[in-house]
This record gives sequence, C-alpha cells and structure tokens, in this order.
Amino acid sequence: MAESFVSLTASWFDPWLLFLTAAGTFAGIYVGAIPGLSVTMATSILISFTFKWDVTPALALIGGVFMGGVYGGSRTAILLNIPGAPSAIATALEGYPMAKRGEAGEAIGLTTVMSVFGGYVGILALALFAPAISSFAIMFNSRDYLLLGLIGILLVGSLSGESFAKGVFAGALGVLIGMVGLDPMTAEGRFTFGSISLMGGIPYVAAMIGFFGVAEAFIQLHSLDMPVVKQRIDRIIPRLSDLRRYFWLAVRSSGIGTIIGALPGAGGDIAALLAYDYAKRTTKNPERPFGEGAKEGLIAPEAANNAAVGGAYIPMLTLGIPGDAVTAVIIGALFIHGLKPGPLMLVETPHLFWFTVGNLALANLFLLIFGLTGIRIFTKIIECPKAILIPLIIILSVVGTYAIQNNPVDIYWMLLFGVVGYFMKVYGFEVGPIILGVILGPMMDSNYRRAMMGARNDIGIFAWDFVSHPISLVLTVFLLTLLLSRTPLWGVFMRWVGASRGRGAKG
Amino acid sequence: MERGRARRPGERAFAVVAVIFAIVASWQAYGISGFSGLSTPGFFPMLAAGVMTVSALSVLWSTLRLPDVEEGKGRTLGGFLREVLPIRLRVMVLMVIVYMLALPWMGFVLSSSLFLFAGIQVLWRKRILITCGLTVATMAIVYGVFQVVFQVVLPQGILLRGLF
Repeated sequence: MAESFVSLTASWFDPWLLFLTAAGTFAGIYVGAIPGLSVTMATSILISFTFKWDVTPALALIGGVFMGGVYGGSRTAILLNIPGAPSAIATALEGYPMAKRGEAGEAIGLTTVMSVFGGYVGILALALFAPAISSFAIMFNSRDYLLLGLIGILLVGSLSGESFAKGVFAGALGVLIGMVGLDPMTAEGRFTFGSISLMGGIPYVAAMIGFFGVAEAFIQLHSLDMPVVKQRIDRIIPRLSDLRRYFWLAVRSSGIGTIIGALPGAGGDIAALLAYDYAKRTTKNPERPFGEGAKEGLIAPEAANNAAVGGAYIPMLTLGIPGDAVTAVIIGALFIHGLKPGPLMLVETPHLFWFTVGNLALANLFLLIFGLTGIRIFTKIIECPKAILIPLIIILSVVGTYAIQNNPVDIYWMLLFGVVGYFMKVYGFEVGPIILGVILGPMMDSNYRRAMMGARNDIGIFAWDFVSHPISLVLTVFLLTLLLSRTPLWGVFMRWVGASRGRGAKG
Repeated sequence: MERGRARRPGERAFAVVAVIFAIVASWQAYGISGFSGLSTPGFFPMLAAGVMTVSALSVLWSTLRLPDVEEGKGRTLGGFLREVLPIRLRVMVLMVIVYMLALPWMGFVLSSSLFLFAGIQVLWRKRILITCGLTVATMAIVYGVFQVVFQVVLPQGILLRGLF
C-alpha cells in the first residue's frame, strides 16, 4: 500500500518528472490545437527520442502530451471552427457559434474546466475499476467491434453535413481508402493496381492532414477578404452557476467517455460524438438551440473525450489492447522499454500502474493551469491575417506528412486529398466520416471476417449471433435505430407504431 | 434540410463523378476475390463500395431534384470557375504543386521559404520588405520547433545538401 502511494506521487515530487509532465501537457495543448499535428504523430515522434530514457520520464512526457492533446483540439474548434483533432468535431458545432457571438473566452473556460473534470473521472475509473471494466470489455468479441465501428462512422455521418447519404458516402469512401494495400490476413493486394508503393497502404495521417489541413486552407481562401474575426476574450473563469447547472451532465458524459474509452478501438472521437448525441437527445430546453452555441453540446463531448483518456489506459494496461490510436503508440513505447502490457503487468510491475495513475492526475492539473491562463496569447494566432496563416498551414501540413515516414510520396497523397476534400466541402460533404472510415475500416474488416469465420461462413449463424448475445443485441438494436431514424423508413415505422397502438405517434 | 436551396455550380457534375467513382470502386473491389466466399479479402471492400454506390445514387437523385443554379451564377464554365475555383485558389494550388515538386530538389528550408514568401505576397500584397521579414521570422519558428524541439527529419534537397 505504502509502495503504491510512493509510485502514485512519484511525479509530483520529483522536479524532473514534474517538469516533463508540465512540458508534455503544454506541448500537447498546442499539438492538439494545430490542425494537421496529431497527438498520435507527436507521441510517435516522442517515442523515437525518448526510447533511451528511463521508462518513467518517457511515460510522464507522453502522458502529458496525450492529456493536453485531447483537450487542445477544442481550442481551434472554438476559435477557428477547425477541430484540431477528430475528438473535437462535436465541440466545433457548438463552440464556434459561441465564439462568433463574442463568447470565446467563456466557451474555452467552460471547456477547460469540464475537460479537467472529465479527465479526473477517467483517471478515478482507471484507478478503481480497472479490473472490473477490463473484465467487461474482454467479453466483447469481433462482431461487437464491427458494430461499434459501424455505429461510430454512422454517428459522425449523421451528426454533420447536409444529408445522411452524404455522410454515408464519406464514411464508405474512408473505409475504402483504409482498405488500400496488402490485406493483413492473407497478404493479398487490395486496390494496389500493381504498384509497390500502394501495397503499404495510404498513410492515414496523410489523409487526415489533407482533408482537415489543406482542404480547409483552400476553403479559407474564399473568405480571405472578410475582416479578421477578432474573438473577444472577456470571461475565462466559468460562472459557478454554469458549473452547478451542468454538473450532472458532465458526470454522465464523463461516464460515457470512460466506458467508450475503455472499449478497444473506440477512443475519444467516438466518446465525444456519443456524448454530444446524448446531450442533444436528453436536453429538453437548452438555453440556445443545438448548433447555435448550446453549452450542453460543448460540455458533453469535452468531458467525455478527456474521460476517455483514463478509460483508454484501462484495457491498455490490464489487457494489452489499445483503446485508441494513441494508446496503440504508447503500447509500442512500453514494448521498447522491455515491458509487456497485459494481465500480468499489474501483478509484476504494479508501481508502473500507480505511477501512470498519479502522473495522469498531475497532467490533468497542469491542463487546468495552462488551459485557463494561456488563452490570450493563443488568440494572437487567430488575429494573425489569413494571408500568412494559409501558406503556413500548408507548410505545417507538409512537414507533418513528411515526418510520418520521410517519404515525399505521402505529400502528394496529402495534396490529392486536400483537393478532393475541397470539392467535397464545397458540395456539402463532411470530411469527418472519411477519417473515421480510414481509421476504423481495417479494424472493421478484420473483425467482420473473424466473426464470419467464427460462424463457419454461414450467413444464418452469422446473423443469429448478432441477436443471440446480449452485448451484440444491444449494439445491433442501437445501430438499427440509428439507421432507421436517419432514413425515410423512420416515418413509415412511426406510423406503423402509431397505428398499432391506435394513437398518433410523435416522430 | 436541403430543400429550397438552389443547386451549386458544378454540383450535378460532382454527383455524377461520385457515382462513377463508386461504380469503378465496386468493380475493382469485385476484382479482388469476387463472390468466392463470405470471409474473403474482397468481401468487406465490396460491401463498402456497394454502400458508397447506393449513397452516391441517393445524393445524385436529391441533387437533380434541387432547383437549377441561379441565373448568372455559374451555369457556364466561366461562372463555375468564378464561384467554385476562383483565380486565387487556382494560383494557390499551382503554387503548392510547384512547392511539392521543388521540395526534394531544393530542400525544406529554401523551398518553404520561397513558398511562404510567394504565398503571403500573392494573398496579402504588402511591401516586399514586410513579406520578407514575416517569411524569415515564421521560418525561424517553424525550423526551430521541428528541427530542434521535435527533431523531425526535414527533406534536405540535392541543391543545398548538407547546408540546412
């Protein structure tokens, strides 16, 4: 017990670890905020020059970047309407309208406090429920992951953009981009057209930077002559009445975030969208309608995505399964340091588990400090004329893309995606579902095939499995409801329900 | 949600291109392993491409039902270029392409500086000295952050090998 406590507070009292955690969190906020720079990328680069260090300083730095990065995406989402990271897509929907009304400071303050709150809920869950949650998550099997992937893409597709069909199109396009390359199970080429460079697949960071960085820069060219939006930052510390009012929403969203984060394959992005959707459905009388700056729609995704950080560590440390892309990279870091994340890690190296818990809690504290103080300096970037910002975004996108594997071909991919993304944005397609498709596509493909093989390639058994297992059944019903509610079939369904009950249905 | 608005210039053509792309993708996906099994490498791509085709057709259908593009707002090629691909964008894309081609040859520092200078000059039209100063300052920060802090390997280029 005493040993655990020493490990828990290790980074709080060691000046070097304290500094690294602070630096990591600070850098993470900016990495997360700058579109095109991803936390995944930053952590992969950090691993390449921390692998000679001891394991604790490396974990301290990476943990800080992770915590700061998940939050940082919200800054640019609020101020620029560009989600710095996919987990901030929902934040942009409500945060930007608030900023346009001159409430940017309030939006950022509220976001910061709720992110920190969510972060602590996630960390608490990691400390308390790690064994219990992981034993629940281990019951998920391939078809459940397939369902989760589908739900994730459809949610992004239906939440944004002009129509559901456009969202589905974008999601499917992303899945196909993710399929390019050698099939991981049979090493057969898919969409490679005999090209060797295509066999390695299309790097998803190139797609992400192209769609989110370059395409956005091109779109911004249309509004170059508009006067620079001076975001007034007046009130940063959120009102106590707001904190009290949204406390329970933050608690529930953090719960959603922790659970989703703990599910392998689903990270802060899906957690944020589910929490946003939840807030939208359950808030009866928002102060302002959703989409026009509802605080509920800002709080829910931000509390959830930071809660997902703690959640994501649960399966990573107890099962050796990454909760999302960043934790996948962190697992790689642990391997480099000679550790084996998995069921035995808690038994063999409990001090590392407690160190991680204490370190994340510290990073979260720094998040509060940096989140509430650096905003005015940060907004100077926004006041920078677009004529400088646009070429700069393109240069940063080029560096970012090149940094993944030092391959100039990736830069050409990025430009292609930038141009395609530009046209799609102009014609009302959202690019968010594409990225989700790219990331989740390969995961869904392998899980689909595992599930199908498990059903001995019998479509009947396969379909029966979806309704005969409790977890799968819940997810299937959720997926079907989601699908139904977004298509014309919903009206038919509601009329049928209404008729069969003998009274008018609401929908 | 979409009802009531007029079609955007080039929107119909884009929807048609999307349908064609989806059909070609389906055909390519079929080529991977055909209908030879339910857990073959090609099955999931076929599923995705199929979903894409259906949604592309649905997008095309709703696009065709929208009121036509407003008079004088891009019914011709010239109008399309003005509305969707303004001259500024065409110049910028061209500059990005030149920049990317020059990158392996000139190296990161030189080509990015030139691109940044040209980009700011084209978009902002301030005095050359101001643009020069801005370019140098910005590049110093970018170089500092990436080369020194993040230690990213930046393309070196053949022209100035070893210099930057």
